[in-house]
Amino acid sequence: MTKRTWTTSHKAVAAALAALIMLATGARAELLIRITEGADAALPISVVPFAENGAIPPGDKISEIVRSDLAMSGEFRPLPAEKMLSLPSRREEVYFRDWRMLGQRYVLVGELSRNDDRVVARYELFDVNQEKRILGETAAASVNSMRTLGHHISDKVYEAITGVPGAFSTKLAYVTLDTFNGKPRYRLQVSDVDGKRAKIRLESQEPILSPAWSPDGSRLAYVSFETGKPAIYIHELATGKRTKVADFPGLNSAPAWSDDGRSLLMTLSKDGNAEIYRMDLATRAVNKLTNHWAIDTEAAYDHAGEGMFFTSDRSGGPQIYHKESLDSEPRRITFGSRYNARPRPDDKGDFVYYVHQRESDFHIARTNLKTGVETVLTRTGADESPSLSPNGQMLIYATKQSGKSVLTVISADGAAAYSLPSPEGEVRDPAWGPIVN
Amino acid sequence: MKLSMHAKVLAMLLSAGLFAGCSSTGETVGDGTYDSDVAPVDDGSTVYGGDDEGGVSSSALSEEERMAAEERAKMEALRDITTFYFDFDTAEIKPEARDVLVAHAQYLANNPGQNVRLEGHADERGTKEYNLALGERRANAVQRFLIVNGASRGQIETVSYGEEKPAVMGSSESAWAQNRRVELVFD
Amino acid sequence: MTNQDHRVISTGAPPWKSPVALSVFLHLLIVVVALAGWSWTSPVDEPPPRSISARLITQQQPEPSPVVEPDDQPDRDQQRSAEEDERKKAEAEAERRRQEEEARRIAEQKAREEEARRKAEQERKKQEALAKEREEAKAREAARQKAEAEARERERQKAEEERKRQEAERKKAEEEQRRLEEKRKQEEAERRRQEEEARKEAERKRLEAERRLREQQLEALAEESRKAKEAEARRQQQAAAARAKEAQMLSESEKYQALIRERLSQAWYPPSSATEEMTARLQITLLPTGELAGVRLVSSSGNTAFDNSALSAVRSLNRYPIPDDRETFERYFRQFTIEFNPRRLR
Repeated sequence: MTKRTWTTSHKAVAAALAALIMLATGARAELLIRITEGADAALPISVVPFAENGAIPPGDKISEIVRSDLAMSGEFRPLPAEKMLSLPSRREEVYFRDWRMLGQRYVLVGELSRNDDRVVARYELFDVNQEKRILGETAAASVNSMRTLGHHISDKVYEAITGVPGAFSTKLAYVTLDTFNGKPRYRLQVSDVDGKRAKIRLESQEPILSPAWSPDGSRLAYVSFETGKPAIYIHELATGKRTKVADFPGLNSAPAWSDDGRSLLMTLSKDGNAEIYRMDLATRAVNKLTNHWAIDTEAAYDHAGEGMFFTSDRSGGPQIYHKESLDSEPRRITFGSRYNARPRPDDKGDFVYYVHQRESDFHIARTNLKTGVETVLTRTGADESPSLSPNGQMLIYATKQSGKSVLTVISADGAAAYSLPSPEGEVRDPAWGPIVN
Repeated sequence: MKLSMHAKVLAMLLSAGLFAGCSSTGETVGDGTYDSDVAPVDDGSTVYGGDDEGGVSSSALSEEERMAAEERAKMEALRDITTFYFDFDTAEIKPEARDVLVAHAQYLANNPGQNVRLEGHADERGTKEYNLALGERRANAVQRFLIVNGASRGQIETVSYGEEKPAVMGSSESAWAQNRRVELVFD
Repeated sequence: MTNQDHRVISTGAPPWKSPVALSVFLHLLIVVVALAGWSWTSPVDEPPPRSISARLITQQQPEPSPVVEPDDQPDRDQQRSAEEDERKKAEAEAERRRQEEEARRIAEQKAREEEARRKAEQERKKQEALAKEREEAKAREAARQKAEAEARERERQKAEEERKRQEAERKKAEEEQRRLEEKRKQEEAERRRQEEEARKEAERKRLEAERRLREQQLEALAEESRKAKEAEARRQQQAAAARAKEAQMLSESEKYQALIRERLSQAWYPPSSATEEMTARLQITLLPTGELAGVRLVSSSGNTAFDNSALSAVRSLNRYPIPDDRETFERYFRQFTIEFNPRRLR
């Protein structure tokens, strides 16, 4: 009896062991494949021409605007419409197999209809592989704001896929230079991010530079030489009203807005040497933030809005410095080469972007503020004026093309470049406006 | 120290001028001096040429008067040079430019009513704002030199255009060399 | 079996016992008749007793049959040989006991015969005493005393003769008895010999059977060992093959893992919002064709766009690179997990 019991328990143990072994074997068999790197390519997306019901104004096509926006981001590779096998405008017309065959990851379809003086767009975004709708919306804009509608859809599509708000409805400010009647003609312009719908805000025979957007996107601060010497102006875009806020002897340059829009950082040399000051816009009172025999300029608030980045050549050549707070001791950030200037931090505190000289060329580079690792982002060679998109995903800068200054957009990681269609003459000093709701 | 050195240079220049005056016209000297200054520049622009008229002399003058006139002409010829060049990312006045700047300083000293505007420039390389400061630094360097050599602060105004107003278009070493400069602009 | 043997012996006993009793009885009868019928002594030499004994002998003939019986028995098969042995041993034992019994019985018979003789002698003496008494009475009667004396002499001679004849008869009977005994002994010896032979034969057969059995056992043992060795060899071979297979499957698995990793890396577009902290885990089920049978998000990154990018990547492959070997496929690729975790964000 005892023996039998023992045998039974022994059997049970053996069975348990066997089960354990099976489990162990099972656990081993359950393979885990870790993917740590993604495609080094842009995402294929198809923006199908929207069906049009009713009187839709000719000209700009929504799908073309969206396609162009997404391409500019560098993260997408839109399929040209002529390569599409069908042109669906609603879900039931979408044959996922076809789009899959075309290697597409996402398909955007939609249709436009007229509602009085407004155009209504109903659109849907599909994930081809999951055969799933990930976005569906209706948006409307006035008949003459088709581009606004297009950029809005771009923003929504971008956000649905990437998880980051789109920045296609934002504005760019930049300065063009050409010759008119034998004289130089500087023009401060504001346009859509794709360079379209550009409007001239200021024209001068003297240089205009360093446009800077107020946080709410309503005002531009810039440097104009219209009086023969540099002065800082604030320009209300809605009214065209201009205010000269800084006209001290010597330099008045490099304006940078505080997060609340109530003060400006600027470079003044009224005391004999280029130093950074903070001006309270209400009182116009300035206080000096740097005091060094070297050039200190190109200030920008950091992501926290408390401290600032700036350029100083106190080490012998221009380098990027950071002050944790406006009155703390500066800490040098860049060491990679003898020339690093014009810092533009992102709003997360991850990176600072700047102009970086490597050998005889000037590139846009960025330094990871946590690791200190510096990455050169551009392949062009005479690059300056980097400006980060408000969502931190794109960067616009000025470079030389056939001896002319043009604007180029790259993804903030430098992966993709997109040249903005350049108007006549030179285009320089781009400044990317904020997202305005 | 600096003064005495400048005085020495001045003396040397004067004697050289005298010697040159004996043998030839002033322009040659002027040209020669200048050439060594901006040797890399090949495409002649208005900046370098210098007008010739200053060198013409009248014969009716006495020897002393003639010498003084020649001296004046010499100085005037030097003062024809109003642009001074710099190396990349520096505001250091080159030795070759010093006698010319001294001439300008003397002229300003001799003519207190004369004002001058120093326009500082940078080449297109680097950032606009930094270049604006760099242009100012160059202008300030020239300003200090002029003041040290006799000009008064009140006569001098400085302005920097940074890289906004290049003297020469283009993206070559020679263009950049000609664009890194301070220009003296007399009213 | 043993019981049956006993029964065989006991049933055999009455026909064996009864002739002895009968013979004793007959002998006594003869003596009585002889003594009673003194005058008709002539039939003393009559053959009847002989015929009786002859009958007895013939009656005794079937005696050994139960012992010999095993002789006639057919060869038992090998499995039963041990039992047979046992049985034979028992039989031998029974035989031994039977013989002892028989000896005992013979002795008893002899004793009984002796007793009969003694009684006959006593009877005779009593008769003689009676006769003497009668003679004395006759003599006293005187008339015929002499005749009686003569008659007595004659009687005495005749008695002497009778005695001699009886003696001869007895001797003859004894001789006959001895002869019978001899014959019986011979028969017994013969029977023993036969028994011995049978026993020897049985023993030989038993030994043979045992030998065969042992040989068979040895053979079986050898066969078993050979088979065990073969099985062991086969097992080792199989184990080695399994190990080789395992190794091959593992290397195959690794190869295809790398292929899958490469394909998925190319198919995965990490969204802009991805950070190195994000990890999405998907459980994949494949068909043996490499086609995706199912995908399940087992662990979300917490970011919808990120999860979607992973799901889309996994679903974008029309066919997963999988090994041709079905076992490797089942082991590793029937179901597995893919983890998306960007490590080299620019």
